[in-house]
Amino acid sequence: MNRKGLVTAIVCALMVLVAYFAWQLVFFEYETDTYTTTAELLFTIDHLTKLVPLLIIGLLTAVGIVACIVVRNAIMRHDGQHGPFSARIATAPKGCVHGRRPSAFMVVRWVCMVGFFVVTVFGGVLLGVRYSWISIPVLSCPANMSQLTEASCYYLAHLEELAGLPLMGIVAFVVSTLGFVIVFGRVLCGFVCPMGLAQDVMHKIRQATKVEGISMTERMYQALVPIRWVMLLLMIGLSFVGGNFCNFCPAIALTPVAAGLSVSLYASGFLMVFVLIASFFKRRFFCTICPLGYLMGLAHGVQPFRIRKDCTACTECGACYEACPMGIKQLYTEREKTDVTDVSCIMCGECVRCCPEDRALSLTFLGKDVFVSKRSRVVQGYRR
Amino acid sequence: MEYAGGAQEQREHRRKQRFATKSMHMTQKYLRRMRDLGGTMEQMEPFFNVLERIYVQGLEVERPRNVRTVGTYCVQVPQELIYAAGAQPVKLCSGHYTAFSIGDDVVARDACPLVKAIAGFEHMGTLPLYENCSLMVVPITCDCKKRIAGLLQEKWPVHPLYVPANREDENIEHYVGELYQLMRMVSCVTGQEVTYESLAHALNLTGRAQYELSRFLRIKRATSNLLFGTHAMAVMNAASYLDAGTWADALRALNDELERRAYANKLVSRKDLPRIMLTGSPIVFPNLKIPLLVEEAGGMVVADETCMGERGMSDPVVPVDASFDGLMRSLAIRSLRPCPCPTFADNSQRIYRLRQMVRDYRVEGVIYHVLRGCLVYDYEYRLVEEELEGMGIPVIRLESDYTDQDVEQLRIRSEAFVETIKLKKGPLKAVRG
Ligand code: SF4
Ligand code: SF4
Ligand code: SF4
Ligand code: SF4
Ligand code: SF4
Repeated sequence: MNRKGLVTAIVCALMVLVAYFAWQLVFFEYETDTYTTTAELLFTIDHLTKLVPLLIIGLLTAVGIVACIVVRNAIMRHDGQHGPFSARIATAPKGCVHGRRPSAFMVVRWVCMVGFFVVTVFGGVLLGVRYSWISIPVLSCPANMSQLTEASCYYLAHLEELAGLPLMGIVAFVVSTLGFVIVFGRVLCGFVCPMGLAQDVMHKIRQATKVEGISMTERMYQALVPIRWVMLLLMIGLSFVGGNFCNFCPAIALTPVAAGLSVSLYASGFLMVFVLIASFFKRRFFCTICPLGYLMGLAHGVQPFRIRKDCTACTECGACYEACPMGIKQLYTEREKTDVTDVSCIMCGECVRCCPEDRALSLTFLGKDVFVSKRSRVVQGYRR
Repeated sequence: MEYAGGAQEQREHRRKQRFATKSMHMTQKYLRRMRDLGGTMEQMEPFFNVLERIYVQGLEVERPRNVRTVGTYCVQVPQELIYAAGAQPVKLCSGHYTAFSIGDDVVARDACPLVKAIAGFEHMGTLPLYENCSLMVVPITCDCKKRIAGLLQEKWPVHPLYVPANREDENIEHYVGELYQLMRMVSCVTGQEVTYESLAHALNLTGRAQYELSRFLRIKRATSNLLFGTHAMAVMNAASYLDAGTWADALRALNDELERRAYANKLVSRKDLPRIMLTGSPIVFPNLKIPLLVEEAGGMVVADETCMGERGMSDPVVPVDASFDGLMRSLAIRSLRPCPCPTFADNSQRIYRLRQMVRDYRVEGVIYHVLRGCLVYDYEYRLVEEELEGMGIPVIRLESDYTDQDVEQLRIRSEAFVETIKLKKGPLKAVRG
């Protein structure tokens, strides 16, 4: 056991402890919780006051990020290499590199994410219908019953309650969850999940302010694998030993609060702050350890959305690996297979967008190209 | 004693003059041979002119006053950093025969001619291109480069750049650190800090050159025989001595003309000439004898995988993260990962690059060029030969030195090679006809 293993073990143990005693770490508590709202209540003063927990989370996140930057600069000032630049790091500098052209795929992705955010926050009360027999496997917390559909995670985190459902309920749950997993898989992560959107927004803020992030190496990604397993174990197993994963899960601090419900937040609130800070510095950090996303990824072998690679066209330039928020290395190292879909792939299309070789990478659906890499996309913006 | 000293000085002076005249003639001869191939267009002139300016007229690199030049060797030095610090990069790898003949006596006998030519210029001190450099950045890629870094140090400030032998994540991290140091060094020389704005500006500047280059390559791939391969190589070589913006403008004009010609189907030669690809050791102006011989013998150099050709510049920098460090990372990544240079321990990617180029340019024969003493390329010949033979593409290995003495032998071999491909093509054409 080396130091890295020890650190991982300590982190895992801490996680288990925090998860088990999550209900004692109060972030924001109501006398009585409500799980739904009405169309009349939306966007009223009452709704706004209910957003206070989100405001606190936002504030704590901002403070956390600034603190991280200050500490980092203080450390870096003494670093021979980066020292001279540390002062400049916090401020948003002028100038930008404008090589890349915007792509239709990314526009569609953002429109989807924002659209589904609305749907998963108060789509149900907004549209006046609710398909509660459909369960989507994303972290749009089902504690919020004003959304359009149900989400699968609640019953995955409370398997014993699932067993107590009427037969039709179980069938609807299993069929819709499995259906989504098999047809879309982690496409849902890239296009639908509100937690994904929150993290991508943090990333965008960092890009706009040009603050240095953390670029994870392969070894760091590997160190996260055990943590992901522990997360999965906690999600599935905690309810059997008397815990409740939902007091630990950061997602409950997002959509239910945004919808204006009074749901008490325990460790979740703190975790959400951590997730936002982490995803500011490392894009989609939480997705690399998210248990639900991992479960969906396990079925990647049969999913129709795939990342394909033309190994001859690839120059091993590594741009795809650098761009991939999930750190999938085989994107650029693979030299034989034409299919480089990985269990972690969230189908965000970043790799395809950044690949400078014509047709080297493509995102396909049932073998048909949806989004294909092009040299011109990468350099066209430089034209005068 | 005083008198004797004067005589020696005079002798030295005369020797330098002789050297300057001789090297001028040598360059002129190759420029003439290139023009004599025919099919040059007006838009090619800026490229020929800059080569003439540097080596025949012996002038400095054209640049605004009080901009310093920084000499670089190899493709692993990011030009962007030098622009960002307010200097102008020039590539100093040389193919000069006259300088080689001087350098031959200066450095070790088995050193490669490229390094000998550099040593020759260093020793004679007549070429402003070298003399006026404020700093030289030498990536330590092969043994010869390491030695030449030591030699150049006697005359110029030299910054050796430690290029890792692998390209794992840790190597990239390490190289980013190297680039920070390089940046500091260039800043010291120019007295100008690299800021985010200046780095972004530099990336946009070289990006435009990138864009025009990718257009150039696309046109060349789509329609062959629009221009001679030797001329394409002149275009690439000219980039060494031109500001990226100026080069991009000239290339843009050339691209527009080539597009017009492609549309009008105006070719420089018959369409069915044997299609040859060059690969192997660097081919640097004026050492263009091999492409010249091939094209004079009725072949067509359709593709060039050497350093000065499609390897050096065609891989774009892809900034992924907008932060300063992100830009530095993208530079480091571009310098190491896509480069199919055999000085990296694992270079299997070169095979794929060759395969892709054979496909893109519909190559019919490959000339593997080895400079005498360039071990790294010689090592890889067997691998490349096996692979290409598996694909049914004939290969020959041409070893050459920076001298005119081996020209006859090279001519015979390249002519024979071109003829073999013609013969192979012959019956095919008959079937098609
Ligand atoms: S708290 Fe998390 S696990 Fe529990 S229902 Fe909400 S999103 Fe699902
Ligand atoms: S991996 Fe990310 S996007 Fe996917 S379900 Fe988990 S939090 Fe949402
Ligand atoms: S492989 Fe491509 S699509 Fe998948 S997560 Fe990485 S960047 Fe996104
Ligand atoms: S970005 Fe494209 S060319 Fe570069 S390594 Fe990835 S797949 Fe290959
Ligand atoms: S072959 Fe490699 S080491 Fe030699 S000049 Fe080219 S890039 Fe540099």
